[in-house]
Amino acid sequence: MRACIPDKDLKDCKDCKDTEVFLSLQSLLSFGSLLSRVLASAFLLCVLLATHPPAHAAPPDLFVDRAADWGLAFTYASGRTGELYFPEIMGGGAALFDYDNDGDLDVFVVQGHSLKPGATVGPEGRGRLFRNDLITPQGRNAVPRFVDVTEASGIRATGYGMGVATGDYDNDGRTDLYVANFGSNQLWHNEGDGKFTDATAKTGTDDPRWSAGAAFADLDRDGWLDLFVLNYVDFSVQNNVRCYAPSSRRDYCGPQAFPPVTSRLLRNRGNGTFEDVSLKSGIGRKAGPGLGVVAADLDGNGWPDLFVANDGSPSFLWLNQKDFTFKEDGLLAGVAVNAAGKPEAGMGIALGDCDGDGDDDLLITHLTGETNTLYLSQGGGLFEDATARSGLGAPSLPYTGFGTAWLDFDNDGWLDLAAFNGAVNLNGAQWAKGDLFPYAQPDQLFRNQGGGHFVAVGPEAGVAFRTPRVSRGAAFGDVDNDGDTDILVVDTDSPVRLLVNESGSRNSWLGLRLVGKPVGARVEVRRKGSLSLWRRAATDGSYASASDPRVLVGLGASSEVMEVRVLWPDGIVEIFPPPPLRAYTTLVRGTGKAPETRP
Amino acid sequence: MGKLGMAVLLLAVRFPDLSGLESAVADQIAEMQRLLDHQGAGAAAYGDLGQVYLAYGFNDAATDCFREAAAMDARDWRWPYLLGAAQQAAGRLDEAVTAFGQALGLAPDSTAGYVHLGEIRLLQGRLDEAEAALRKALVPATAAASHSLLGQVALARRDFRAAAEHLEAALAAVPEASRLHVPLAMAYRGLGDRARAEEQLGKAGAVGLRAPDPLLDGVAALRVGERVAMMRGRVAAQAGRYQDAIQEFRRALAARPESVEARVNLGSVLALTGDRTGAMDSLREALRLDPANATAHFNLGSLLADGGSPEEARPHLEAAVAARPEDAEARRLLAKILRDAGRLPAALEHYRRAVELAPGDEAARLGEAETLVRLGRYAEARTRLDEALGQMPGSGLLSHAQARLLAACPDPSVRDGERALKLALSVWQARPAAPHAETVALALAELGRCDEAAIWQRTARERAQIEAPARLGDLDRALARYEKGAPCRP
Repeated sequence: MRACIPDKDLKDCKDCKDTEVFLSLQSLLSFGSLLSRVLASAFLLCVLLATHPPAHAAPPDLFVDRAADWGLAFTYASGRTGELYFPEIMGGGAALFDYDNDGDLDVFVVQGHSLKPGATVGPEGRGRLFRNDLITPQGRNAVPRFVDVTEASGIRATGYGMGVATGDYDNDGRTDLYVANFGSNQLWHNEGDGKFTDATAKTGTDDPRWSAGAAFADLDRDGWLDLFVLNYVDFSVQNNVRCYAPSSRRDYCGPQAFPPVTSRLLRNRGNGTFEDVSLKSGIGRKAGPGLGVVAADLDGNGWPDLFVANDGSPSFLWLNQKDFTFKEDGLLAGVAVNAAGKPEAGMGIALGDCDGDGDDDLLITHLTGETNTLYLSQGGGLFEDATARSGLGAPSLPYTGFGTAWLDFDNDGWLDLAAFNGAVNLNGAQWAKGDLFPYAQPDQLFRNQGGGHFVAVGPEAGVAFRTPRVSRGAAFGDVDNDGDTDILVVDTDSPVRLLVNESGSRNSWLGLRLVGKPVGARVEVRRKGSLSLWRRAATDGSYASASDPRVLVGLGASSEVMEVRVLWPDGIVEIFPPPPLRAYTTLVRGTGKAPETRP
Repeated sequence: MGKLGMAVLLLAVRFPDLSGLESAVADQIAEMQRLLDHQGAGAAAYGDLGQVYLAYGFNDAATDCFREAAAMDARDWRWPYLLGAAQQAAGRLDEAVTAFGQALGLAPDSTAGYVHLGEIRLLQGRLDEAEAALRKALVPATAAASHSLLGQVALARRDFRAAAEHLEAALAAVPEASRLHVPLAMAYRGLGDRARAEEQLGKAGAVGLRAPDPLLDGVAALRVGERVAMMRGRVAAQAGRYQDAIQEFRRALAARPESVEARVNLGSVLALTGDRTGAMDSLREALRLDPANATAHFNLGSLLADGGSPEEARPHLEAAVAARPEDAEARRLLAKILRDAGRLPAALEHYRRAVELAPGDEAARLGEAETLVRLGRYAEARTRLDEALGQMPGSGLLSHAQARLLAACPDPSVRDGERALKLALSVWQARPAAPHAETVALALAELGRCDEAAIWQRTARERAQIEAPARLGDLDRALARYEKGAPCRP
């Protein structure tokens, strides 16, 4: 009996299993008053400034959007039809990856289009590849210049794009591209001459369902990247339903309106093809509305596990049993639900050592009315919800977070956090003002004050953070190779933003490019007189996006590095001498020193 | 006076845009706005309007109203209290704290306000202030909610002992608050008691706990219209409060009698309460209004099939499949009806498609294999079961089916006694039951090990006396064959 699955559903029933009916009102916030207060105070400030000139100039913005200046002209089109098709509110993402191996980060952005039956998809409805031609004028900092090379590359990403993953699945030294769509996915093989070919059928990597993203990881440690395809819910244009906000106004549906689906696990056979091991591995036996995924050794047994953030349902922690089967243990691990025992609307994931204790901590972005939730690793695969004491909870309540990552934006040696926001519930105040897409929210930057205690960065984060947009995917990486982390943000129906970090490279840093199956490696930077810094070499996490695989380590005041240890994904540890500061150094597997073994 | 009053009001309150609202809701809000004018814009009028706004999530307009009301009547605790609630709903936590503080200054007995304060301070990570507020709410009406939040405060401090005590106290007061088993499990885990942690997780559910709050409960009750009733009904149904759900879905129907979704949901919940007749009536009425409604067809089809009316069920399931060709569950149910009616090729087609759509659906896999057996396509059945077991090696259902086929297939070339025995033993070890012992016996008989088969058959017989007495005759006949000795193959 299919009980209580209405043909038409209610959006505000986000926590349908909850008896706390009234609290569901929190899911519809109105920002009109906030905005008017901001405007009013801005006006007041102008008056004051006119009569009393400031003693000090305002600090410059920490991040500045330079997408247009640098040639990154692209707008993610949701293809809004007025029918409020669910995918229209969920996409999309981007990748920062060096497809031409020239040492700088190129860009791929997925694209949406109209889902109206019969609508055709023209070139503007396809994902785009931008090559970064980094220009280094004499005596000046390098400046990226992006060139749209989609047509020449052969990439025809015609699906309704949601997310993207990057990885060299055939070990030919070139990064390939997996595009996750609402509908069939595509694996684009990098041919090495600037061209890509569609290898989906040949490799057996398609999934016709709604995929929100994917992650490459060597789950059996055989040296070949396997592929996890993250699936969401069973929505189709034909089974669209009508959902309503608490005000009774029609709105986009939430995930509860549709059955969740299982994700897919594809094992790399090492011959250019993949085997679907979803059921055999256990992954395909538990459906969930997945929106975020990371692959990392979360229980410290040396084998990569999978963490999946589910939207409005308990998250999954798939623990690797070392035989290509996985056991889901999120509840006992403490990462399935929040400290109150409540599932939240998991979207983006940040994984990294935010408290400096040597293990990786999880931050999940969530829906308005829920906090972004921090799970601190206690070692051995156990986590604790530390949101309350971290300072990350309350400031995130009014926002719906998507793209996110730990990044040391000021290179002080502590991982900070960026969260890119955009509502999925209609904002009444924006609606009243005639906004055609009233879902915009400002983005957020949090500074780590040390030990995993955070404060929100104020206006100095930059106008690019303050201006409300409907943000979704975000990819993180050093686009101009100047030693600090920049951010590529995909906003729904707005031009992409490239938030260039104007502050971080003032502190010392070192950059590491790992060669030799680096995905999932961990790096320990041992410093004299200071705690070690642990960083991941990974592209996954965030939302629907793939980030810079290089490791960028801000050193803060303790820049005397004694050695760098690399823990490769297959458990091998190598020690490398201190690399030069303020530069990227390539560390090739097999060229480091083995750690001394003591009796 | 009317125009002047409205002018004053316009300065004070940002009216929300009512376009796009359900007409009953828009009418209610518009009427309240008009009443405010007639009442002369006193504190109560602002407060009443604010409550309606709050009920529908117009938090900014509600904030304006409660602020006005509080300014007009500074002695009435309700207005700062509701202002606090509106600010909290909007995520403006510091403003909410100030407002709740004012309300509690006027009405210290409104202990639900301390629970709100504690909750907000916990969110802000101000744990000492959270604890101080929550301790003031440790009175009978709000003690359970207060304990649950104090448990979370203690967890945030990593004081696992205190956390366990508070959460145990909350659960003792409200055992159905199943969500609390999770933080309690975390407390036991923190204390190093993994077994108790796992025991708690086994009890975890989705029902939360909040303090009784008459004022805010009254706000929620202000909501009218079909959609609100639908939402409440769905929440109640998913929390297992079926009678409440039925009441809400009936309210939705009263608001809009032609609401198909209300009738479908009402039918679903009535079925869950055991009222099959009422459920079927509601679903039939839904189909009268919307003959193509796939969910109504599916639910009615399921009920009819389950109630022993497969021929009546079939057209409904066919309609459900036609409307949603990707619905694996509907296909599986339809396939079963067709198979039981002897329409084996049609059944097989639906089972095949169900398996394609949901490869992890054991029942569909099993149904497909059983249909192949009934068609005499034994080797194919074996192959399909092998494929299924390759993907789901731990499936007891499929292992048992394959063991039976390998032990006793009418086509001896399909049999494989050794493998049948291995599979049957693994099933028995996982779940000792009469049919599983019988399958071990069958496998042993296939291998010619008749004495052992007889021993297992006796075990099956013993268990069947309790589990399935009707099967004793069949079991005895097979036992007699085994006891005669070789050849004893089925």
